[in-house]
Amino acid sequence: MIINLDEIFDYTSFNIDRDPHIILDENICKECDQRACTNSCPARCYTWSEEEQKMTFVHDGCLECGTCYVVCHKDAFTRWRYPRGGFGVSYRMT
Amino acid sequence: MKHTYDAIVVGAGPAGSAAALTMARDGLKVALLERGNFPGEKNMFGGVLHRLTALEDVFPDFWDQAPWERHIVQKNLSFLTEGATFNVSYDSEEANTPPYNGYTIFRPKFDRWLASEAVKAGATLLTCSTVDDVIRENGKIVGVTLLRDNAELRAPVIIAADGVLSFVAKKAGLRRAKFKTSNQGVCIKALIDMPKEVIDDRFGLVREQGASREIVGCTAGVRGGTFLYTNYDSLSLGMVLELESLNEHGKTPYDLLNALMQQPQMAKLLKGGRLLEYSAHLVPKGGYEMMPELVGDGIMVAGDAAAFCIITGLNLEGINLAAQSGVLAGKTAIEAHQQNDFSKSSLSGYRKKLEDSFVLQDLKLYRRTPHMLHNNRIYSQYPELVCNVMDEIYRIDGKPKETMTKMLLSKVKETVGLKNMLSDVYSGWRAL
Repeated sequence: MIINLDEIFDYTSFNIDRDPHIILDENICKECDQRACTNSCPARCYTWSEEEQKMTFVHDGCLECGTCYVVCHKDAFTRWRYPRGGFGVSYRMT
Repeated sequence: MKHTYDAIVVGAGPAGSAAALTMARDGLKVALLERGNFPGEKNMFGGVLHRLTALEDVFPDFWDQAPWERHIVQKNLSFLTEGATFNVSYDSEEANTPPYNGYTIFRPKFDRWLASEAVKAGATLLTCSTVDDVIRENGKIVGVTLLRDNAELRAPVIIAADGVLSFVAKKAGLRRAKFKTSNQGVCIKALIDMPKEVIDDRFGLVREQGASREIVGCTAGVRGGTFLYTNYDSLSLGMVLELESLNEHGKTPYDLLNALMQQPQMAKLLKGGRLLEYSAHLVPKGGYEMMPELVGDGIMVAGDAAAFCIITGLNLEGINLAAQSGVLAGKTAIEAHQQNDFSKSSLSGYRKKLEDSFVLQDLKLYRRTPHMLHNNRIYSQYPELVCNVMDEIYRIDGKPKETMTKMLLSKVKETVGLKNMLSDVYSGWRAL
C-alpha cells in the first residue's frame, strides 16, 4: 500500500469551489529562498518549476490543513481563508 | 440577514459543541457556527479520544451514547530502525471496563454527535457558515460576519473555537499574526481498510478492544512521530512532523509515511490493507509557550484555537482539553450574563477556571516538553541505540559476551555519546 497523491480524489472527497480560498502572488514566490510550501504541503498543492522559474498553486485538492499559512515566510498570500461554507474537503470517516 | 443571540460559538468541534451544550442547557440562546456541511466534516486528528471528564456529568454513560470504534486496552511504544523494532506494551484489564480511558473515534461521526447533543439542548447549529470577520464596537467584540448572504450575527459574548489557526482570535487581536514553524506540526493520516478479525488476530484483541501504538524513529531524522491505532475494521496510521524540522530536511510528509510503511515490521502489521481516506491537519504542538491571549472584551478562546494541546510522545492530548475548555468558557459566559458584564475583566474568570483545572495545570506541567522533544537525537540515535542493545543481548553467535555494563557503555558511545545521554536523561526527567 502506498499513498499516491495523483489519486487523491479517489480517496478523499472534495466539493471544489470555483472561487479559490487561497490566492498566491506568484511573483513573491520567485524571490523566495525557501519555498517550504513545495515540500511541506501534504496534498502537494504547490509545485515549483525550476525551468520556468514559476510557482504553480492548485487549490482543488487542498486538505485545509494550514501548513502553507505557517511555513510561508514571505507572506505571499493575497488571500488565505477557509473555503466558503459547504465547499472544500469533505472527510467521510477519518 | 441580521440575528442576535446570547452567545455565538465559532466552530462546532469538541470545544465549541461543549461550550454550546453548556450554555444551551442553562437556557441561553446560542448560535453554534460550523463551516462544513456538517460538524466533523473538516476535522481530523490521530484517532484516540481520551476520557472526557468535562462531559461526564452530562453523559454519565458516555460509552453507551457516543459513537466510537474501539476502547483502548493496549498501549504500545515502539522504537523503529530500518530493520528492527523494540516494542514496549502495556495491556490492562483495568482499561477493559467503563469508564474507559480512551477510544478510537471518527471525527465526522463523533463531532456530529456532540453538536447534535448541543442542538437537543437548544443551541442553533448553523452549518456552511464560514466566519469572515469579527464586529467590533467601542473596542468590544459584539458579533461576527459570515462569508455568505452578508450575514451578521450579534451577541454580547463570542467563543472562538475555530481551530488551530483561529482567524477569529487573530481578528480580535488575541493571537500573534505569525506562528513559529517549530510550534506547529503537520499531521497526516492514512485510514487503512482491514477486516475486524484480521485486526483482532494481529494485535491480540477481542470484541471491541483496541490498541494504540506511538512510534519513534524512521522519520529520516525529521522531528516527529508516528501513530497506529485500531478502529473497528480499519487502522489509522499517521505521522506528526514538526514543520521547522520537515523543512530543514526538505522532506515531504507523504514520502516519509510511505517509507515507514515499507519498514519490515510495519509492513507485516499493515499487510493486505487498502487506503480508504487520506487527511491532514496542523497540530499546535508548542503548548503553553504558544498560547494566545485567552480573553478579550466580549470574547474567549477555547480548544486548538487556544493551543490546548499536549504532546509528550507517550500521549497525544487535545480533545479532552478542548472539551474541558469549552465547558469552562460556557460557564463563564453564563456568569457574565447573570452579571450582565461581558468585559475582559468579567470574562477573565475563564482563565481562572482553566488554571484551577487540569487544562492549564497540565499545559504548565508539560511546558518544557516541546523543548525536550526539540532534540534531534530522539528521532534517530535513540531508536538505533535501543535496537542495537537488544540485538546484542539476544544475539548468540559463538563469540564471548561482554558484561552488560561494558556493552551498554560502548553502545551509548557508538550512537548517542555518553555526555549527550546524561544531559538528555536530565532534560527528559524535567520535561516529563
